[in-house]
Amino acid sequence: MNILVPLQIGLREISSHKFRSFLSMLGIVLGVSSLIATLALTTGIERGTREFMQQMGGLEYVSVVNKEISNAKFEFWNLSPGRTLRDAQVIRESAPLVSHISPELSLAVGISSGTHSDRGTVRGVTPDHFVVSRHELAAGRFLTDIDVERGLRSAVIGSDVASLLWPELPVDAIPGQILQLNNRPFEVVGVFPKYQREEDKRRQGSGKPVSRMGRRWDPFRSKNESILIPYSTMFYDFRAGAFPLDSLESARLDTLTLRIANLDNFRAALDQVRRALELTHRGVDDFDLETREEWFDRMESSIRATRLSGGLIATISLVVGGIGIMNIMLASISERVREIGIRLAVGARGRDIFVQIIVESISIALIGGLLGVLAAFGLLEILKAIAPGENVPVMTPGGIVFSVGFAVFAGFISGIYPALRASRLNPIAALRYE
Amino acid sequence: MALVELEQVSKIYRLGDQEFRALDGVDLRIEEGEFVSIIGPSGSGKSTLMHLLGCLDAPSSGRMEICGSDLSNATQNRLAEVRNREIGFVFQAFNLLPKLDVIGNIELPLVYAGIPAAERRRRAEQVAREVGLGDRTANRPVQLSGGQCQRVAIGRALVNNPRILFGDEPTGNLDSSTGEHILKMFRDLNAAGKTIVLVTHDPDIAAVSRRVIEIRDGKITREYAP
Repeated sequence: MNILVPLQIGLREISSHKFRSFLSMLGIVLGVSSLIATLALTTGIERGTREFMQQMGGLEYVSVVNKEISNAKFEFWNLSPGRTLRDAQVIRESAPLVSHISPELSLAVGISSGTHSDRGTVRGVTPDHFVVSRHELAAGRFLTDIDVERGLRSAVIGSDVASLLWPELPVDAIPGQILQLNNRPFEVVGVFPKYQREEDKRRQGSGKPVSRMGRRWDPFRSKNESILIPYSTMFYDFRAGAFPLDSLESARLDTLTLRIANLDNFRAALDQVRRALELTHRGVDDFDLETREEWFDRMESSIRATRLSGGLIATISLVVGGIGIMNIMLASISERVREIGIRLAVGARGRDIFVQIIVESISIALIGGLLGVLAAFGLLEILKAIAPGENVPVMTPGGIVFSVGFAVFAGFISGIYPALRASRLNPIAALRYE
Repeated sequence: MALVELEQVSKIYRLGDQEFRALDGVDLRIEEGEFVSIIGPSGSGKSTLMHLLGCLDAPSSGRMEICGSDLSNATQNRLAEVRNREIGFVFQAFNLLPKLDVIGNIELPLVYAGIPAAERRRRAEQVAREVGLGDRTANRPVQLSGGQCQRVAIGRALVNNPRILFGDEPTGNLDSSTGEHILKMFRDLNAAGKTIVLVTHDPDIAAVSRRVIEIRDGKITREYAP
């Protein structure tokens, strides 16, 4: 028998009892919408986290941080020179699994373009910084080895700084402008693009206000506010003489970050870095390597937990929805015993009746599932309005298909028992049924 | 050729440890083109006999051959197939599906025979004209009179061009003049060559047929031509 026939019968049956059918769908509607919403929320968190991670340099990003010396070595503290440019040089020479290394000095300065001024943080970096911090360029160039070797007064600035100092200039015209840092003139050689979340880009496109992160540290904003100059220039112009004994190579760094060449060799690379630093720090354990791994793992496991609990709630409501369908189907067949008897009498086989009831049950679940998709859109709008977080829920086609598929499966399972009962009716008894 | 051949057919119902012989060793032969009535009081076993002949049920013992196939131990699916292809039923209570229109009801056996929709519709429309309902094809059963309903049922029984047409008290729910009309349809069908088996308790109705089989307590007690 053609599959269209039971489908037609089922749809007619559903539409002739609209309210009853709707009630039996309700569980499925709720189940599907909460499943889709859960998937969208976790996908949103995941995507937000990934963007955040990406902006912060990804998993390859490792930061060398200061650490309290252990008690056993406390008395040797002054043997260690701390984090210096020398560390960077030694790591570059003796840790081949590290692809880029970025030492950094920073200082709060007054910044000015002549017409506009503000305060900001200037950072002395090397060309590797561009890669380690995952920068891009909107105009001009980044700092080069020549800038660093010659101690040139070149600067690369973030988009927020550019629009603050030269609000009327297009981004292409900014390279070549003169920037005053504590009244010393620097030539702007490059500008970064505006770093922002995918979601913020969309909002900006549609004219909605861009979300603020509040007081939390934001890698997007800090990159947009950066003012980068050559490391050597930084030292000679702003740091030399602060500690009379300091040289370019012995000045204490404010930040030391690096990038592992290949994640497959992550552990080995960390070991190489650790050995190099033990050498330069003369065995004093005043440093530590901070990786993103643990942080990422924590993030992943919290996403998993959210997904699991949301999924569980959704599954429960789908099961309840399935029971609702079964209930309605049982009521419906006991009310249609005579109809089934007539169909049997004119030659329907048990199989035909079985298929008819199953198709009807799946149709209810499918329609409920599709209504659930609509409800999910509404639900997510409500969630966005109540809690406008930085991680906007993302509905994926995969999540929708999975949820509706799950509902159809629930419809199928809950149709089996009523369909079996209907298909096993005795035609004579069914015909006599009043 | 014999369309129906029963040899020592019994049908036994068991209720707990009680045994009830609804049919007890029935022998019956019906040839193609016959018009047979089965009469008997209620509880005589005539309905059980018709259910067996109509392939709605299988016998408990004995040999049963319908339209050339041995159905003594047939499965439900096999019986359904024979019902679908070889047998048409007309019931006392019409047994139409209230949600379907005239065409939908008439084409029902074709649905289960796997005929495509367009062909079903064409044949159902033709049959509707033959039973005199060509202008009411879009009506539902509630919009029809009893006689019209029974004509839809006859149309449904005929649409698959079955070899045997069964009528189970087909005039029982109709007034006498409408009943006359329906009986005339049966006679005309028989005159056109269709084998017909009527089940009734009314000897006057049985008198329209050419062979009457009287059944009592599960046994054939008398056979005569009116």
